[in-house]
Amino acid sequence: MLEKYRNLGLSFLVVILGLFGIYLVSGISPYIMLKSIIISAFGSIYGLSETLTKSIPLMLCGLGLSLSFRSSIWNIGAEGQLLMGAIGATWIALYVMPNAPKLILIPMMFIVGAICGGIWALIPAILKVKFNLNEIIVSLMLNYIAIEFVNYLIYGPWKSPYEWGFPYSTKFPISAQLPRILDTRIHYPTLILALVLAIFIYIILYKSKLGYEIRVIGDNIDAARYAGLDIRKIIILVLILSGGLAGLAGVGEVAGIHHRLRVASGISSGYGYTAVIVAWLGRLNPFLIVFVSFLFGGLLVGGDAIQVSLGLPGATINFINGLILIFVLVQSFSKIRLYSTKKGAER
Amino acid sequence: MKDRFLAVLSVILVISLIVPTAYGIGAEKKLRVAFIYVGPIGDYGWSHAHEMARQSLIKKLPWVEFLPPAESVPEADAVRFIDRFVREEKADVVFTTSFGYMDATIEAGKKYPDKIFFHCSGYSRAKNVGTYFAELYQVYYLNGLMAGALTKTNKVGYVGAHPIPEVIRHINAFALGVQEVNPKATVDVRWLFSWYDPSKARMAAESLISDGCDVLAFTEDSPTVVTVGEEYTKKGKPVYTFGHYSPMQKYGPNSCVSGQLVHWEVIYKDILEKIRRKVYTNTNLENVDYWWLLKEKAVELGGDFGVPVNPRFITPLKGKKILDPVFGKISVYDLVMKRLSQMKANPEKFDPFTGPIKDQTGKVRIEAGRRATHDELWNMDWFVPNVIAKIPK
Repeated sequence: MLEKYRNLGLSFLVVILGLFGIYLVSGISPYIMLKSIIISAFGSIYGLSETLTKSIPLMLCGLGLSLSFRSSIWNIGAEGQLLMGAIGATWIALYVMPNAPKLILIPMMFIVGAICGGIWALIPAILKVKFNLNEIIVSLMLNYIAIEFVNYLIYGPWKSPYEWGFPYSTKFPISAQLPRILDTRIHYPTLILALVLAIFIYIILYKSKLGYEIRVIGDNIDAARYAGLDIRKIIILVLILSGGLAGLAGVGEVAGIHHRLRVASGISSGYGYTAVIVAWLGRLNPFLIVFVSFLFGGLLVGGDAIQVSLGLPGATINFINGLILIFVLVQSFSKIRLYSTKKGAER
Repeated sequence: MKDRFLAVLSVILVISLIVPTAYGIGAEKKLRVAFIYVGPIGDYGWSHAHEMARQSLIKKLPWVEFLPPAESVPEADAVRFIDRFVREEKADVVFTTSFGYMDATIEAGKKYPDKIFFHCSGYSRAKNVGTYFAELYQVYYLNGLMAGALTKTNKVGYVGAHPIPEVIRHINAFALGVQEVNPKATVDVRWLFSWYDPSKARMAAESLISDGCDVLAFTEDSPTVVTVGEEYTKKGKPVYTFGHYSPMQKYGPNSCVSGQLVHWEVIYKDILEKIRRKVYTNTNLENVDYWWLLKEKAVELGGDFGVPVNPRFITPLKGKKILDPVFGKISVYDLVMKRLSQMKANPEKFDPFTGPIKDQTGKVRIEAGRRATHDELWNMDWFVPNVIAKIPK
């Protein structure tokens, strides 16, 4: 128990020291800074709508990652899987069936986007089960390949003839654009999809045989092996699902926000990476992840505010995110240790 | 004991933080102007140049309230920053300074019809959205003249950000300069697919050097290429470079020959004064497109302000003589100065994109005696023959 409090104290101390550092450098009190973040992210209808918009890709990626992290498969490739989803959606919207009615086109974009994200995650899965390659490295590296693939498409075969040689795809037809709530940017079909999937993943994880197997593998892979579980099959399945969810996030971004394929940094401002923190902060629990995505969306939205209204450097919010990550790390390490000792005591 | 010490320390820190610092808000009615940058202000290239312009105007235009700028704004988030500036910070004018912000700026123009927006380097305009650009191709051409004179291997390198018309135009202008003084030299290109990526820029520069290039120009928002050139030059393998956007001579006193410098403040001042005098309003910007060059003093030749050529290179450039059809036998240094004054004249007495100019396949793109039109320059998607790289398709 003492251990736990010390870790908690330590992580608080890290955060406080960090904020104090910002104070020393900028002369702006963290109280004002945090107030400004919270008010701008949650204090107005506009702020809330932007926070919600930002939380959609975080939710989908975070939910996907929770499945993989729960089975101790470290998929760091949500960013690339998201981009592949965006590519799949663009392919359907512009080249496969641009004239299809909305009710067919949009579901097809989501389905193909999920398949593309899933295939992208299948690569590290197969390399892991066949050659025992580390999935962290493979999935991370595939992010860069996905970024270059997006670049290849928009500078090459998919470059629009109507954009003066700039690297954009042609704009999606109206039937491929997701509806939004009033004049906000909340593309609600993706949001509803994310919420439904959160329930679905909760059921998979905690109410199904597959979920049980995922948790056994995650907790003790040797035990899973002795129990005769088909670990390879589950690894592949988990990564496909994980990538598919990230792919859906990519579909939502291009079909709901940008309405075209553009440079990778224009589609995702690192949602796939932020979702790693989101999944851990949400303790890999689907419902908590939905909630944490909302909070984190707020942090990202509020981060603009401290730059714009307080004149802090743009990197300040990354600094705060980093502090949160350290906080989470210290906390989860203490949790893992506690968890194993408790288990030992029960036995 | 240690725990208690940590606890006490935390409490003290918390108390010292919660004491709120006061910050005042000016009450005077001024034109509120916001800037959105794509890179970090400290990138020492594009965003830095815009920020320097903004800062230099703070004193010159006391009737403008310059809001704290937003830096490192991802293209995906531009809409939200514009919204914040307009709604929360009550900005009257917003400058969006990256071509990737184009859709976001147009969208904002529709959403806030009573505000004024200016988008840098784009082509979409609206009633309340104008565009502006300080164009550097003439300066690139002048640097090309010097590069052609200084290369010993007859291989000149170019580190390019994105293969878009702007960069292609600059590479062509640079290559036309090289061609004019050194018909044997070729220009090779490495693409970064990024505006700001010092580590890729270093790899690209070193790859060009290992291919034999001994003079490098670039489009990227950091002084990396100049730094690499300086390192090689100091090691006894001279690699000469040209700065880009900000004064970079100090990063390569032995390597940086000259460069492109920009004076965004000239354009910003003009725009803001016209907004103040109601020449520009939220209803008449449909055709307002700044395309300012040497003659408008929006750009300058040099690796540092007021230093068109690094003094270290004046003698070698004066030593290299070529035969010009108009000027006769002339040193490259004098040629650069002649061309510079010709292009500073209004109207220009010379333009590098004057035909006949062919592309790599031998097709005539600009007929003899004709100057390229704005649209031709703006759309450029072909390389001149002495560029040996290909445009990614």
